[in-house]
Amino acid sequence: MSTDHPLSSRAAITGLGMTELGRVYGRSATDLAADAVLRALADAGLARSELDGLLINAGISQGVDLSLAQAVGLRDLALQTQMNGYGSSAGQMIGYATLAVAAGLARHVACVFADTPLAPGSRAGQAYGRARAGRRGVASIGPALGFAGPIPYYALHAQRHMDLYGTTQDQLGAVAVSSRAWARKNPLATMREPLDLAGYHASPWIVEPFHILDCCLVSNGAICVIVSAAEQARDLARPPVYVRGFAQAHQLEWDDTAPSLAQRSSAAAFSMAGCKAGDIRTAQIYDCYTFTVIATLEDYGFCKRGEGGAFAASGALGPGGALPTNTGGGMLSAYYMWGMTPVSEAVIQARGDGGERQVDRADLVAVSGNGGIFNYHATLVLSPAAS
Amino acid sequence: MAESSSAAPEIEERSLPFFEAAERGVLALQRCQTCGTFLAPVRSRCSSCGGTRIAWAEASGSGRVWSHGRLQRSFLPEHEGKLPLTLVWVELDERVRFASRLAASERAPVRTGDRVSVVFERLADGTPVPVFRRAD
Repeated sequence: MSTDHPLSSRAAITGLGMTELGRVYGRSATDLAADAVLRALADAGLARSELDGLLINAGISQGVDLSLAQAVGLRDLALQTQMNGYGSSAGQMIGYATLAVAAGLARHVACVFADTPLAPGSRAGQAYGRARAGRRGVASIGPALGFAGPIPYYALHAQRHMDLYGTTQDQLGAVAVSSRAWARKNPLATMREPLDLAGYHASPWIVEPFHILDCCLVSNGAICVIVSAAEQARDLARPPVYVRGFAQAHQLEWDDTAPSLAQRSSAAAFSMAGCKAGDIRTAQIYDCYTFTVIATLEDYGFCKRGEGGAFAASGALGPGGALPTNTGGGMLSAYYMWGMTPVSEAVIQARGDGGERQVDRADLVAVSGNGGIFNYHATLVLSPAAS
Repeated sequence: MAESSSAAPEIEERSLPFFEAAERGVLALQRCQTCGTFLAPVRSRCSSCGGTRIAWAEASGSGRVWSHGRLQRSFLPEHEGKLPLTLVWVELDERVRFASRLAASERAPVRTGDRVSVVFERLADGTPVPVFRRAD
């Protein structure tokens, strides 16, 4: 396992800042984002004045923008912008930050996600369902007939997989059960009650084949990571988590006969990192839905096409499994911070900070980010050791 | 299609040809006049060749179920009392995908790959919309 790619391990994640997450009310997205940036700086042992880059991803509520720099008190930035690639944003920000520090444009770049879609008394699904309403044209037909928000589209992707490969409802449920088993070990997780397959089956349908427990949570909060040039990273407060590989792939109209975005993105990231799927010890997969995990496991090469369901049902993803996956409970059971959910858990595991949920050998961690309806993808390979 | 006296809804101008065709029971798609690719409406540029000579064309209205699901929960008032509804994602023979549902008259379940053809129903506000029934 080696690489001579000039960008591999040129940067490391040196700071992680997480606010309280979930039904957190009374705080603006900007306030939460500023809190996350300051926590990440403190974690890294960096002064505010040392931070010279800021990348912002505002989430669905669009509650944070470039004024964040003022809220944090950043006065001398060499790099700053607001970005959006939906669920792929976190991986993208870390990729761009790596490019920036490798090129000497900045030394320490904060990548922050903040969102406050939840209001007291609102239902989680409405926060996202609303976002697509209000079109008057051909594009309004789907929503009017029931394709409102992303859930129906993902549910139908799952059903196609079931029809083509024999994936079962129990296998979707296995992903939800495994995430919950991990969430029970994560003090920050929202859903920590025990869950078994019977409990999964008993949860209400949304769009068959999806029960509500096939769908991720909606959460308020913010998460920030600091990406530092590798040369700077070694002298900071916490052990560096190197960015061994990163890649993106995007496509608005997909073709069933071509490799998927996740296949293309993971192949490029693994190539940069000089690794294969079999070298990965733990996976932090963007689990907007149970099915997204099954699809990504296959696309990343952790199992064969059509076998993702059986892989999940084998117990491979859970505590003690062959490929511990979404070890903080993921977005299904812990918190929905878009791509920062898998990124933050990857950093925790690579540092060995997982406590009760720490996996044995987190020496190579794959992180996926997926946005739209499989329209935007980013992959990271992170490691406590440089390549 | 059942007749309705509902006032025509306010529809964005670019989509008017689609709904005018729907009133006649015809599924219209846009087609690139340069390379012949059918496009998911509404576009001003061909997603295949980049051409801007786009015209509306009559589609076959036939295709296959790319996938399907059952809508069990909805925030839309007009779905009240009608759930569950069978959603279908149809890949038309013109290789355009349409997110729709099975016609109200269809009772038998569908599967991925089944042949379907278009029929039109009206939304509560009178808008004619394409839905699908199993092809014989």
